[in-house]
Amino acid sequence: MGVAGLYNRRRAINGVYLTLSVTATALGLLVLFLILWTLTANGLAALSTRLFTEMTPPPGASGGLANAIYGSVVMTAVATLVGTPIGVLTGTYLAEFGAGSRIAPVVRFVNDILLSAPSIIIGLFVYELLVVPMGNFSAWAGAAALAIIVIPVVVRTTEDMLRLVPGSLREAAIALGTPQWKVIVMVIYRAAVQGMLTGVMLAVARIAGETAPLLFTALNNQFWSVNMNAPMANLPVVIFQFALSPYADWQTLAWGGALLITVTILLLNILARFLASWSNRTP
Amino acid sequence: MSADITVTAETPRAPTLGRPIVRPQEPAVVAQTSPKVVIKDVRFYYKGYEALKGINLALQDKRVTAFIGPSGCGKSTLLRVLNRIYELYPGQRATGEVLVDGRNILDSGQDLNLLRAKIGMVFQKPTPFPMSIYDNIAFGIRLYERLSPSELDERVEHALRRAALWDEVKDKLRQSGLSLSGGQQQRLCIARAVAVKPEILLLDEPASALDPISTQRVEELIAELKSDYCIAIVTHNMQQAARSSDFTAFMYLGELVEFGDTEAIFTHPREKRTEDYITGRFG
Amino acid sequence: MASTLTVAPRRRVDRQHLQDALFRGATRFFAIGVLVLLGGIVVSLAAGAAPAFRAFGLGFLGSDAWNPVKDNFGALPAIYGTLATSLIAMLIGIPLAVGIAVFLTELCPPPLRRPIGTLIELLAAIPSIIYGIWGLFVLAPFLQLTVQPFLIDTLGEVPILGALFGGPPLGLGILTAGIILGIMVLPFIAAVTRDVFLTVPPMLRESAYGVGATTSEVISHIVLPYTRTGVIGGVMLGLGRALGETMAVTFVIGNAHHIRVSLLAPGTTISATLANEFSEAVGRLYTSSLFALGAILFVITFIVLAVAKLMLLRLEKQGAR
Repeated sequence: MGVAGLYNRRRAINGVYLTLSVTATALGLLVLFLILWTLTANGLAALSTRLFTEMTPPPGASGGLANAIYGSVVMTAVATLVGTPIGVLTGTYLAEFGAGSRIAPVVRFVNDILLSAPSIIIGLFVYELLVVPMGNFSAWAGAAALAIIVIPVVVRTTEDMLRLVPGSLREAAIALGTPQWKVIVMVIYRAAVQGMLTGVMLAVARIAGETAPLLFTALNNQFWSVNMNAPMANLPVVIFQFALSPYADWQTLAWGGALLITVTILLLNILARFLASWSNRTP
Repeated sequence: MSADITVTAETPRAPTLGRPIVRPQEPAVVAQTSPKVVIKDVRFYYKGYEALKGINLALQDKRVTAFIGPSGCGKSTLLRVLNRIYELYPGQRATGEVLVDGRNILDSGQDLNLLRAKIGMVFQKPTPFPMSIYDNIAFGIRLYERLSPSELDERVEHALRRAALWDEVKDKLRQSGLSLSGGQQQRLCIARAVAVKPEILLLDEPASALDPISTQRVEELIAELKSDYCIAIVTHNMQQAARSSDFTAFMYLGELVEFGDTEAIFTHPREKRTEDYITGRFG
Repeated sequence: MASTLTVAPRRRVDRQHLQDALFRGATRFFAIGVLVLLGGIVVSLAAGAAPAFRAFGLGFLGSDAWNPVKDNFGALPAIYGTLATSLIAMLIGIPLAVGIAVFLTELCPPPLRRPIGTLIELLAAIPSIIYGIWGLFVLAPFLQLTVQPFLIDTLGEVPILGALFGGPPLGLGILTAGIILGIMVLPFIAAVTRDVFLTVPPMLRESAYGVGATTSEVISHIVLPYTRTGVIGGVMLGLGRALGETMAVTFVIGNAHHIRVSLLAPGTTISATLANEFSEAVGRLYTSSLFALGAILFVITFIVLAVAKLMLLRLEKQGAR
């Protein structure tokens, strides 16, 4: 074909590619919208104060999700409180002391593997580690499994954030005669605090919706329980159980819980992103 | 507190310099009781590359010594040897001796934190800590001294006054140090450095990142501070060196080419390279 | 004047050094702890799986039995399901993800880039279980009513290939699970691909446009070859996630321990089997077989993630080539 023909063919191909590209993005956004729409349409019906005040009901009865909400909040909080310091210290090691170290690259590598590892495997591990020796499922085990998921996220964000602190700040603190640990804790952490907080928020958003690791650690509990040594109700497992059941009341509650979790997670994500971009602003 | 200055035509009691640049018939280096800092055959290696090739000179107390030379000549490197801040980075090392009041600070027995508490450094880029203005100053003081709140307040005020910053910030001491302008931030860093009562002040191009007005204020500051400290200043600005220093060292490609009275260096330099640099034939 | 450089508070300095050492030690301790954690996972999986492998040998991997009553188990259906759903997920997810990355870097008007990028990333934040219930109640019926009959009527008639689309339209099954997985991994791959696309020096792109190349040509001839390693790394990261996804798959796969040729048939994956059966498994061999499944999954994902990480590391080392 002539030059004009070749050019037209190229333009046509280009047009096809670009259309596909726009379509792909549109599809992605459509799915997001559809999911949120479905959640809202089905879950709004369940939203009422009863959701937060009544316990999960027996099949066929109506009730709320209070015990599940409590369990999720408690286990998420414990997991975050335990996992964050461990993650921060490990991230600090990688960023501040890892320069000449031989184990630092290995730790970084392993951490990234753990970051993407199937969470159900973490559940199996904690089952063997805690549930079997203790002889029962427990909220401690659930929190432990969630903590193991929190740690790699916090390690990664901490290391990244600490590395962003300019070397000149470090030098200025050292030049005053500040001992190294104080340089890190009182100056570097302070400079990176917003970024590190973002990491914690992203970790919380991640574990808030995790079901698999709780399946064989905290299990579930139909009743209100504050006993950390016993199975504890939690939103994801309750949703799992109720959604797959044939009872309309249970299904409505499942949607309500799903809406709750999703809204919380999306808010945390948006907030984290906002915080991150605000802390990265050029002064 | 004026020093005993005797300008004689004798060979100085300063140690032998790398090149025979003080000839007996010329006015000698100002002789005081003894120099504050004596740099003896210092070499610096950066990943195998020799960045400083045997530097010998002396810094006098209560005087300003300026280091000039083209980029990469090693003047900042030399400054950073004096407070051993290069030790933050693996692959950098220094040999030779640096005697401060007769004691070699490059010795492995020298405590680095103590050394840096007694040698203050101000960097090219202003680096306020992410804390309030007050805490920026108080941070260094608190490291090594236990003071009552009122004593601390006095010290902070005194330091800010010395840095000609007090009037501008006295009403906003609790605001973040980062909220100040560039020139103010740099004066904050100077205040921070003098607050801990160092004996030696190292200034690494302190005004190069500032606007002309701030630069002038910083220069005035240095002239005032001279009466209390032994000051070494690295500068690209030859007029600044000529105006505010007592002694000048010209460095080129890691070597000390010429060292002497500022006036002598600038009006009749002995080395051709010095003359070429000063007259702008290369920069 | 005597130098105070050495006369200063010695005790305080010693205490500072001790504090430094303690702090450094603490960070090191937990860093090694991460390694110990991985080791612990490996050990516990191996220990839990050992009885099953002792009883069935390597034939466990090839057997499609699954009989809790007779204590006879095999991993093949679960492995097949895991691989099949992940493959479908990749086939769907990769083109979509690359398309999105192209859109975000080349076509999207700059003020919209961050919002749209954030929205795509929010897709990644939605938990697996939400995808699960959405898949079960929305996607599966939709597929059952529209897409699947369409596939059966059209592709199902094609010789040989048609067998992939045989059987009744159930809505649930390998295909549905693959589609859900594809949607779930596409934001990860899109994010990595976009980040990697952004590392292409603007000069390179501009010079290509400068000689009159179309956007699609710039992408396929300049950008993709330049970022090839990074894109593959991102793809493998997505694959690693797809292999391990549990809840979304559990809801829509139908949970049948068999292998059928048709993609429209129900099946199972390793993670779905574990999710469904572990808490009720009684009997040492049953539990151990489940552990064995977990171990197999771990090995597969570990290899995929390790390769992904190595590829991304290599890209970092190249820097701005």
